[in-house]
Amino acid sequence: MAEILKNRQLQIAVMALAFLLVFVPYFIEVPALEAASTKLITITAIVNAVTLVLALQSQIRRGLNIVQRRQTGWYFKAYMIITMVLMVVFAFFGRETGPYHWVMYAIVNPLSSVNYGILAFYMASTAARAFRARNTQAMLLLTTGFIVLLYQAPLTGAYAPWLEPIALYFGDTFGMAAGRMFLISVTVGAIVFGVRVLMGKETSVLGVGKEEV
Amino acid sequence: MVTMIDYSITIVGAFLAMCMFTTLYGKSSPLYALAEESYIGFGTGLTIVINAEYIWRTGIVNIMKGDYILILALILGAMILFRVHPKYNYVARIPIAIALGAQFGLSLRTIIFSGFIQQITASIVPLFGGDMVTMLYRWTIALSVIFMMTFFFYSIELTGPLATSAKIGEYFLYTAFGAIFAQTFMGRLGLFVGFMQSYTVPPWKKPILLAAMFIVFAIIVIMDRTGMLEKYTPVE
Amino acid sequence: MSDNSLMKTLATYDRRWVYLVLFLVVVGPLLQPIGMPISVSPDTEQYYEAISSVEEGDKILFTLNTEFSGYNEIQSGIVATMRVFIEHNTKICVAVGHPEATGIPELVFKQLEEELDANGYVYGEDYVILGYVMPNEASVASMSQDFQGAITQDWLGRSIDDTFLSEINTWEDWDLIADFTTGLATTFLLNHFALRGTPMTVNCIGVMIASQKPYVDSGVYLAILQSMRGGAELEFLTGHPGPGLTAMDAFTFGHYMLLLFILAGNLGYYGYTKQQRGGR
Repeated sequence: MAEILKNRQLQIAVMALAFLLVFVPYFIEVPALEAASTKLITITAIVNAVTLVLALQSQIRRGLNIVQRRQTGWYFKAYMIITMVLMVVFAFFGRETGPYHWVMYAIVNPLSSVNYGILAFYMASTAARAFRARNTQAMLLLTTGFIVLLYQAPLTGAYAPWLEPIALYFGDTFGMAAGRMFLISVTVGAIVFGVRVLMGKETSVLGVGKEEV
Repeated sequence: MVTMIDYSITIVGAFLAMCMFTTLYGKSSPLYALAEESYIGFGTGLTIVINAEYIWRTGIVNIMKGDYILILALILGAMILFRVHPKYNYVARIPIAIALGAQFGLSLRTIIFSGFIQQITASIVPLFGGDMVTMLYRWTIALSVIFMMTFFFYSIELTGPLATSAKIGEYFLYTAFGAIFAQTFMGRLGLFVGFMQSYTVPPWKKPILLAAMFIVFAIIVIMDRTGMLEKYTPVE
Repeated sequence: MSDNSLMKTLATYDRRWVYLVLFLVVVGPLLQPIGMPISVSPDTEQYYEAISSVEEGDKILFTLNTEFSGYNEIQSGIVATMRVFIEHNTKICVAVGHPEATGIPELVFKQLEEELDANGYVYGEDYVILGYVMPNEASVASMSQDFQGAITQDWLGRSIDDTFLSEINTWEDWDLIADFTTGLATTFLLNHFALRGTPMTVNCIGVMIASQKPYVDSGVYLAILQSMRGGAELEFLTGHPGPGLTAMDAFTFGHYMLLLFILAGNLGYYGYTKQQRGGR
C-alpha cells in the first residue's frame, strides 16, 4: 500500500485526471461529466479548508517549543495558545452575542485594522527618505506621483481643478497599461508553471523530496 | 444608548491598538508583544471556528442530507493531515495531487481568457476616430503596453530598435510607478484613517482614544528609560 | 540656524518624525472635522450608474472579500452601495471571503436600519447573510456551478430553503455581483461568474486599483469604485454623507504631509547629501 501511495507516476496521473475532469467540462457540455466535475470541485473546496489544520499545527508546535525552553517572553506564547483555545470555546456560547462577539469587536477587529494601518507610516517614511530626483527615471516617477497625490487630496479640486484630467490621464493610461502588462506576464507564467506541474517537472509542489525523484 | 459592553469594547480595543502602534517607537516592547500575540491567538481561534463551520456546513450537513460522495472529501482531508507525520507523510500525496489538479483546472480554464486574451483584445482598439482625448488615451495605452513589454524581454539581446523600445518602456514604467505609488499610498492611508475614524465616531470615543494614546506612550517611555523594555520583550 | 544646518536636518531627520506628524495630521481633523469640498471622478459616476441600474427584485450577490482592516477603508463604499440596493428593493445575499469579515454585515446593516425599515426588508425574504462561504477558488467555483449543492445554510446554521436563494442554481441566476475587496476571492468571482456573463462591480482598496482597472477597460467589470476617496464620492452622489466624506479632511492632510516630506527630503538631498558626496 505504501509503495502505491509513494508512486510518483500515480500521483501525476491522478493530478492530470483531476485537472481534465475540471478543465474539459468547461468547454464541452456533457451533463454527466459536468455533474462529476462540480462534485470534485466541492470536494476540493472542503479538502483545501482542512489544510488549515497543517498551518495550525506548525504554529502551536512552535509556540509550545518556546514555552518548553523558557525563552525570554515565553509567557507571551503561552498566552497566545491559551487565547486560541479560548476563542474556540467561546464560539460554543454563541456568535451573535457573548464572549465570542466581544473578543471579535474588542480585540480581533481593532488589531487587524492596526496591522495594516501601520503600513501607511512605513510607506510615508520610506517615500520621504528614498524618493530622490537623482535621474530622469526618478524625476518621472516623482512628477507623476506628485500630480496624482495632489489630485487624490479632495481639497486640491477646489483650487486646481485643471489637475484632475492630467492625474486621471496618468492613472488611466500608464498605470492601467502597467497593470495590464503585469497581468499578461503573470498569466503566461502561471500557465507555464501549471503545465510544468502537470507534466511532473515540479516535484516540490507534489511534496516529493529531491532524493525521491 | 451606550452600554457598558460598548465602553469595554472601545477601551480594550483602543488600548491594544495603541500597544500595537508602539512598534513605531523604534524598539520592540512587551506591549507590542501583548497586542501581537492577542491578535494571533484570538485571530487564529476565529479562523479555526469559521473554517470548521464551513466544513460542517458544506460537507457534513450535505452528507447527512444524503450526498454521500462528499464522504470522500472527509477521507481525503484526513489523509492530507498526514503531511506532518515524519514516517507516513506519503499518505498526503494523493489528496494533494487531486487538490492541485482540480485547482489548476479551475484557474487555467479561465485565466487564459481574463488575464491574456481579453487583455490583448482590449489593447487592440481603433487608434483613429473619436475625439482627441479618446485618441490620446488609446494611443498612450497601446504604445505603453508594447514598449513596457519589450523592457521585460530577458531571453534575447536588446539591440537597435528593440533597445530603444525597451528604453522608452522603462521611462513609461517609471511614469506608471509614480501613479501606482500614489494610489497605493492612498490605500494605505485609507486603512489608517478608517481605523482612527472608528475611534473618533461617535464623539464619546474620543477621550478614550486620547487617554489610550497618552497612557501607552507614557508606559513605553518609562520602560525605555528604566531598561525594562529589553528585559521583558520576548525574543523571536 | 544656518542654511547648511537646515539642509542637514532635512536630509538626516529621524524617521519617527514622519510617524508623529502623520499621526497628528490624521487624528487632528478627525477630532475636529473641517469639511472639505470633493469632486466626483468619471469612474465613480460610472459605478453609480451601474449600481443604480438594478431593478426591483434583482438578485444581488454582495461579497465582502476583505479583512476587517480593509473594511475601514472601503466602509463608505459598502454602506453607500448597500443603501442604493435597499432603496431599489433588490434581493441581497451577503457572502464573505475572510473569517474576520463575518462581523461586517452586522455593522453595515446597523447603519442602514432606517432604510431597511422604510423599505420593509425582512430577513430571508429580502436579504440573507451566508457568512464565510468563499475560503478558496474551489468553493467559489462550486457556488457558481451548483449553488444549491454548495450552500444549504446561512451563517447561523438556518436552512436557506425558505429564502429567495432557493431560486438560485448557477451563475446565470444572479443579476449583479457587488464585490468589496482587498484581493481575496475577487479573481475567483471574476473567473467563475463575471467571465461567464454575470455583471460585476468592484470596490477595491487603493493598492489594487492598477491591477483591477484592466478588467474594467476590457469590459469584464461594469465599473470600479476606488478606495476611500471613491466611497466618499459615492456618498456625495447618493446624497448621504457618511464616514467617507468626514474622513476626507484627514485624507487631504495626509497626502499634503507626504508631499511636503518628499519635497523636504529632496531639498536636503541637493542641499546637503549630494555635496557631502562631492557632487557624485
